[in-house]
Amino acid sequence: MKNLRSRIRSANSTLQLTKAMGLVASSKIRRALTAMTNGREYAAAFEEAIRLLTASPDCARSPYMMPRETDRTRLIVIAGDRGMAGGYNANLFRLAATFPDAQKLPIGKRACDRFGGELISSEHFSAADASEWAKKLCEDFVKGEYDRLGILHTRYVSMMTQEPVVSWILPLTAEKSSGSTAVLFEPGEREVLDTAVPSYVTGQIMAAVRESFACEVAARRTAMDAAGKNAQQMIDELQLAYNRARQGAITQEITEIVAGGNA
Amino acid sequence: MHTFPLTVSTPDGHAFQGDAIQLDLRGIEGDLAVLAGHTPFITPVQPGKFHLFLPDDTMKTGRLSGGLLTVNTDAVTLLTDTVEWE
Repeated sequence: MKNLRSRIRSANSTLQLTKAMGLVASSKIRRALTAMTNGREYAAAFEEAIRLLTASPDCARSPYMMPRETDRTRLIVIAGDRGMAGGYNANLFRLAATFPDAQKLPIGKRACDRFGGELISSEHFSAADASEWAKKLCEDFVKGEYDRLGILHTRYVSMMTQEPVVSWILPLTAEKSSGSTAVLFEPGEREVLDTAVPSYVTGQIMAAVRESFACEVAARRTAMDAAGKNAQQMIDELQLAYNRARQGAITQEITEIVAGGNA
Repeated sequence: MHTFPLTVSTPDGHAFQGDAIQLDLRGIEGDLAVLAGHTPFITPVQPGKFHLFLPDDTMKTGRLSGGLLTVNTDAVTLLTDTVEWE
């Protein structure tokens, strides 16, 4: 009986923990989703401009569009700051393992623990940070220190579904020219492209970080809901077993007393 | 006064969205002003101050960290990493 009581107590504290974490996650979800939408809008606006630019034949000689012979890959890996989010981090790292040769640049404490480097929070990653990263990455790319830049992040499909994906950012691929580009580029397509790419990369990094964070929070809430339900079920079963044991003990005591009186 | 719809967009959301009379900023080839009916063009923007003249006769001044200005016939979009209003 004592054993059962302590197990009920421990299940109870687990239940409270999962409830608290679930509540924190739910309160963060709205903010995370707004941030994700903002980031997506910005990235989409930039993609539009970049698409117009890459369609122009003048840009084909830009260092950002040159196909490379080697395949040295840099991969920005965006994971969460904490665990307790179901398979969120695990799914991401499974996909990361399929790129063993890539140089990995982690964002998020879990990713930093895994791939080394200083700890960078994925929750508090700012646009200024992203801008610095993008500048450095673009410089190195133009210098030819690596040939391919990708972002490994988690895509938000719905509250219940998130999937890890790789988005390839550099080199840029040319879109089929739509024919009439009535837009004028000042000073010229090539110059505009070369100056716009770092900002474009910033937008892509930011959008991916925000989206991943929304996924993390959503995954955590779902996981905590499930864990809470399991804990409640376990408590119910243990409580039943405890009550039976208690009733059994009482019945036995009464039987003994009655037997003693009869004797 | 003719106005045009302007959006100043950053990765953290819209820093400004609404009608404006004039937008002054420093493009890669020098200072420029955008008024309603400007010919469509795209140009990179240099880091620095920019001014915004609004229909209620006020002026907003801000600093941006460089970006891309897109002028379309129906809308103007300024994409930048960060904006700080003064």
